[in-house]
Amino acid sequence: MRNPLQKRLLRELRDEAGKYAVIFILLVATIGFVSGFLVADSSMRITYDESFEKYNIEDGYFDVKKEMTQEQKAVLEKNEITIYENYFMEEELTNGSTLRIYADREDVDRGCLMEGHLPEQAGEIAIDRMYAENNKIAVGDTIGSADREWTVSGYVALSDYSSLFSDNNDSMFDAVKFGVAIVPKEDFDTFSKKTLHYRYAWTYGTEPVNETAENDRAEDLMKAMGKAVSLESFVPRYQNQAIIFTGNDMGSDKGMMTALLYMIIVILAFVFGITISNTITKEANTIGTLRASGYTRGELVRHYISMPLLVTLIGAVLGNILGYTVLEKVVCQMYYGSYSLTKYVTAWSGEAFWKTTVVPIIMMMIINLLILNHKMKVSPLKFIRRDLSRRKQKRAVRLGVMVPFFTRFRLRIIFQNMSNYAMLLVGIIFANLLLFFGLALPEVLDHYQDDIQQNMLSSYQYMLSVPVSVMSEESKIKSLISMLEFSKAVETDNESAEKFTAYSLNTTDDICDGEEILLYGIQKDSQYVPLDVSEGQVYISKGYADKHLLKAGHTITLKEKYKDDSYDFVVTGIYDYMGTLSLFINQDQLNEMFDLDQDYFSGYFSDTEITDINDKYIGSVVDLEALTKISRQLDVSMGSMMYLVDGFAILIFMVLIYLLSKIVIEKNGQSISMVKILGYGNGEISRLYIFSTSFMVVLFLLLSMVIDYYFMLVIFRQIMLESFSGWIEFHITAGIFIKMFILGIVTYAVVAVLEVRKIRKVPMDEALKNVE
Amino acid sequence: MFLEINNIKKSFGEAENRIEVLKGIDLSIDKGEFCVLLGPSGSGKSTLLNIIGGIDSSDEGYISIDGEKTGEMKEKKLTLYRRKHLGYIFQMYNLIPNLTIRENIEVGAYLSDKPLDIDDMLQTLGIYEHQHKLPNQLSGGQQQRTAIGRALIKNPDILLCDEPTGALDYNTSKGILKLIETVNQKYGNTVVMVTHNDAIKYMADQVVHLKDGTIRKSYHNENKIPAEELDW
Ligand SMILES: Nc1ncnc2c1ncn2[C@@H]1O[C@H](COP(=O)(O)OP(=O)(O)OP(=O)(O)O)[C@@H](O)[C@H]1O
Ligand SMILES: [Mg+2]
Repeated sequence: MRNPLQKRLLRELRDEAGKYAVIFILLVATIGFVSGFLVADSSMRITYDESFEKYNIEDGYFDVKKEMTQEQKAVLEKNEITIYENYFMEEELTNGSTLRIYADREDVDRGCLMEGHLPEQAGEIAIDRMYAENNKIAVGDTIGSADREWTVSGYVALSDYSSLFSDNNDSMFDAVKFGVAIVPKEDFDTFSKKTLHYRYAWTYGTEPVNETAENDRAEDLMKAMGKAVSLESFVPRYQNQAIIFTGNDMGSDKGMMTALLYMIIVILAFVFGITISNTITKEANTIGTLRASGYTRGELVRHYISMPLLVTLIGAVLGNILGYTVLEKVVCQMYYGSYSLTKYVTAWSGEAFWKTTVVPIIMMMIINLLILNHKMKVSPLKFIRRDLSRRKQKRAVRLGVMVPFFTRFRLRIIFQNMSNYAMLLVGIIFANLLLFFGLALPEVLDHYQDDIQQNMLSSYQYMLSVPVSVMSEESKIKSLISMLEFSKAVETDNESAEKFTAYSLNTTDDICDGEEILLYGIQKDSQYVPLDVSEGQVYISKGYADKHLLKAGHTITLKEKYKDDSYDFVVTGIYDYMGTLSLFINQDQLNEMFDLDQDYFSGYFSDTEITDINDKYIGSVVDLEALTKISRQLDVSMGSMMYLVDGFAILIFMVLIYLLSKIVIEKNGQSISMVKILGYGNGEISRLYIFSTSFMVVLFLLLSMVIDYYFMLVIFRQIMLESFSGWIEFHITAGIFIKMFILGIVTYAVVAVLEVRKIRKVPMDEALKNVE
Repeated sequence: MFLEINNIKKSFGEAENRIEVLKGIDLSIDKGEFCVLLGPSGSGKSTLLNIIGGIDSSDEGYISIDGEKTGEMKEKKLTLYRRKHLGYIFQMYNLIPNLTIRENIEVGAYLSDKPLDIDDMLQTLGIYEHQHKLPNQLSGGQQQRTAIGRALIKNPDILLCDEPTGALDYNTSKGILKLIETVNQKYGNTVVMVTHNDAIKYMADQVVHLKDGTIRKSYHNENKIPAEELDW
């Protein structure tokens, strides 16, 4: 026989339809959203991972000035690699962007048609989908440069350009100003040889087993190639941003989403927990009687826990259905908004199932079991006596008669509801944390972007790029000549230019192991980095100090990425610069430390543009445009996500405040109808009960903001450590707290008005009927 | 002897607040007997009943039911024991508000392997036509009958009643008493009833008077009269 108690479930659902509907919708939405996100993420991940084989993505590329001869090619291929021509040309389009055009490649770096058809005849072109969307170019449109025109036959995603980096040295890509495209091979061959860039891709005969092996292999290959040809650039795949950036960035929000889900589940479990414990208090006599007549504690616990589990289970099922069908597409669209990914197929994700179904149910179960077991430990006799607190009876607090009666009454209400208010406080802390999260994040990012733009080391920062030919080991003479050529070519007449050396090392600490730190070798009396960098002085950027919790006096150990050499530095001071994680020391000292020439340098700080250095020697320029590129891209890839989180946080905040204050006010329903019988008017009752709760809500709202600020510091730090390679300072203004407070008060006001109306409707006989 | 109460002592509180509520109670009740516990308020009647039912424990002495001592049982076993053998009725009805009358009785039936027939029970209780109503749609007497039904449906060996008629008027009380009497005669359950109502002693097989934690008087009724003829 089924436990007849279970028949209550449906009725309970019907009686409390409003409350359960709210919880249920919240659950479905959260689970649906996160499941959609995780499923999309893993589908995209699979698509991305499989693309390497599916489209035969290169293992690297190199550029040479002149087309290689068959003999040269044959020599290179002796290194157990296959070489493919991967020539391209670049056109400045009339819309102000640059289009990099390849021939439709069939052997390596194949493309995936996203819409329309592949270009078949001269005059047709297939352009990157994301670039097209960003520039609002439709299939069938005509695009052109000063001297050419094409009809767009379709959209493609090129497997070697999932992120549209135009230059591998750029720190971010710009898919508005730069795009890639393919034209038919025959058409490509008609292009002027002059405009062609001779790029070759290679693939290994046997794939290296791991990253270190790949690194060694690439280094050997570069040396070997240097003997045979004069390399302009050499980029193995693991260094190719256009290919790997997407993979590295994917799933970085996963931690945040999962954290959000778990937070909401805990909140809902908490809401269920207090609902149940209220029910238990209300039904204490009945529970006592049932226990006395032989119902086991287990049976009752199972009965009371069925509701949360049932709701969670159904919520999870529905949420997942929603996730797999609708929301997954939405999230994939978001991915397509940031990356040029190939076509994907929705894949079943075990991780999503685990995180959105199994874990929530387990969490719900554990939290409620804890609460229930605690509640049910009381002996049957105590249940019958309604003596549920396991503490010794507290004595009533004395309140002098000097205190006005209404105030005393209110104080009594507050004392009486202490446990409810405690729960309200915890709830408000949770809710405000979410809200805080949602409100603070955009502001923090904004501040970060402003700060970076305003606090650049210099308006222009040029990173020189030593031609690969300098590395030629075999022909020392050639190498020497290249070197001389190079050092002459990179001198500038620009007055404001100041030389520096940059070198990158990796961290070795526990906080974030293997993170890249940029070492700047700075001239004494530098006008761009006004630090006293005499011998032995070591300054680190504030970003580095904040992220790795460093202070003056600390010793830091950094090591080379692929080697075991490590270096110790004792921090002298912190330089107020958030842009990068960097370390500043004397240039001579740096040069010596890494066996570089005494007057070696690797870049310039400058206030004005340097125009007299050949572009080919300039690796990258960090200027305002480069920095705004980061913020633009951050906005594109995170913006939509942020607003979703934002909206969600506010929603949950409101729901939680609603549920909690409703529960508190409802719990007093009995006493309310009692004082009604005594002859109190509705207005008086509202003033008594609503006032007390309102007072507490305001107090808690203020209190929770302080507490949440500290929580947030911890959480934000964790998110930064897990998903960002830089450091963003948690910087907010008082406006956030004001917004939070207003939102809290407004939400509560809505609840209070609803409850006042409800008090009016509390029937007087409730006190008499239910008093057991 | 079916129900044996042996030198039960019980006190509450610590040190100077300590009060001895039961000061050594000895009592034997036969199977099928109707036993009434009388005494002034605070004399320890409910405490004794609760100890018999195993929801409270004694400081000294033991209760043995059909040869088994309840004091020695662990909580699990005790629950199982109550489940199999005991029925409880309190002054407050303690029905489950969102279950119908019939379902409230089913809650009791669920505990037994061979419960009595629910329809019969509803008829006997006189609430058959109300079976699909919720408790708050019934009068106090009807609710108490439902509570009795819940206790009786599993046909317990012992029925423990703590002032089952305490909150009811004369006629309704009489109806409840008749019901318990009928059941007692029909199924042969042992009944222990705590009451303030002195008149009820006339319908009992055994009458026990408690005062200040001791048994003042205890006797068997030679000629008990049916509940119908009671008057107070
Ligand atoms: N849990 C407890 N803690 C402290 N004292 C208790 C407890 N339960 C009962 N008592 C005390 O034990 C004494 C007997 O209580 P009990 O409930 O058994 O009386 P009673 O005979 O049933 O009275 P009534 O007829 O009023 O129901 C009372 O003085 C009471 O104050
Ligand atoms: Mg009593």
